[in-house]
Amino acid sequence: MTPLRRRILDYGMAAVLLGLPVVLLQAGLKDPGRLSGFDQAVLRISSPLQAAVSWVVEGVAGVWTGYIGLVDVEEENGELRADNERLRRDLGAARRAAADSRTLERLIGLRRETDAETIGARVVSSSINPSFRVVRLRLDRGDGEVQVGMPVIDDAGLVGRIHRVFGQYSDVLLVTDPDSSIDVVVPRTGGRGWVTGLARDDVSRCKVEFLERGKPVVVGDQVVTFGLGALPAGIPVGMVSAVRAVDYQMYQEVEIEPAVRFGSLRRVLVVLSPPPPADPDGAAPAPAVPARHMGSY
Amino acid sequence: MRLAAQVFLSYFMVLIVAALWRYVPIARAIPDLVALSAVYVGLTARERVAPAMLAAVVMGYLADLLIGTPAGLLSTSAGVMCLLGHFVQGRLIVRGRLVTAAFALMVGLVSGAVLMALRAWLGMLSESMASELLTALFSALLTALVGPLVFRLCRKTDARFARTRRERDAAAEGLIP
Repeated sequence: MTPLRRRILDYGMAAVLLGLPVVLLQAGLKDPGRLSGFDQAVLRISSPLQAAVSWVVEGVAGVWTGYIGLVDVEEENGELRADNERLRRDLGAARRAAADSRTLERLIGLRRETDAETIGARVVSSSINPSFRVVRLRLDRGDGEVQVGMPVIDDAGLVGRIHRVFGQYSDVLLVTDPDSSIDVVVPRTGGRGWVTGLARDDVSRCKVEFLERGKPVVVGDQVVTFGLGALPAGIPVGMVSAVRAVDYQMYQEVEIEPAVRFGSLRRVLVVLSPPPPADPDGAAPAPAVPARHMGSY
Repeated sequence: MRLAAQVFLSYFMVLIVAALWRYVPIARAIPDLVALSAVYVGLTARERVAPAMLAAVVMGYLADLLIGTPAGLLSTSAGVMCLLGHFVQGRLIVRGRLVTAAFALMVGLVSGAVLMALRAWLGMLSESMASELLTALFSALLTALVGPLVFRLCRKTDARFARTRRERDAAAEGLIP
């Protein structure tokens, strides 16, 4: 066979081979779903191989997304944690602002309802020494008007009395301080006594001294100011929490839970002057603090 | 034997890429591995083109079965690419990454054109010609990207089935044996 003939034969065969798929393509269009035995054999071999490759690839992809991809997740987690912290701070600030706002609203209400002349003050530091129950106030206005001994109240009751005054600032001796002494009365029995701090560093409680045994009190009784001197009458001081009567003693031993929550004290009122004296023709003297703040009184 | 190995290589490349491609964020196009393999066997055809043509047609046919295209579509295109490779064989030395990539780009474009022509003949072209052209272009670009790697694999396979040391060195170097 000459080289030319061989070449012609070669190209001829190549042309036939090229024409074969064209014929196949056209034939396949008539019945695209038909598979020959060869096709089926190839697909039966290929399909498990494809499934195996897919399984391996999916496994690798799973490892990637589950472990290596977690690098990004860690970074995102850090960002989210920082966001969370910031939002918590914002929430805390908003809650404090809301609490301040509620306290102010209550104080404004109290001021409107009370007959005594008062000025507002903000608590700038609280007592950290158990032996000295003192808080420091910053007066809203009227420095020079505030004097030692003036009562300090909030919407719950008596906070204490002005202990020291220095410019716009004042120290308040709380009712829970052992040096504090407040003239009180138990409205239910009419028994009188003096409230003073317990001088215990584990509790913020007070005791009532010189309460006569003839007028026995019970746990839950309200204790209010009697109204001597600058202190207006009827300001809630606390509620009886424990009573002990000993046969040989003249007075009852009474502990009271203060009406004021000293831990959350933020805004208070300083009573500059007691309410005007009661009308002698009137039925009853007006209390400094309205009755709704006095519990069962 | 060499051509059978090339057919298997092409088959496995298509099989793996078909399984992998769904994880690649390019859904529009796929590199034309069959065209690259077919042009390679055409380029490296020794004295006779018919065996290379047979290998190319089988490569295309297997790809048709694996990918699910109408039987004969990729097969015909692969046959044409094999002829193309055979015709440029004496005129072009495909060596080096850049030249190989450029050659693969040309292969991708020609293969895309052939496939479009075949589909037009069969009445399978979509209405948007611009979209078809864009897909063909993307496919050609991807083919250019993977071209050097595919040729390298093909050469390695060729070198393994070389009959002499000279043939093996020439195949490994990218010279036509």
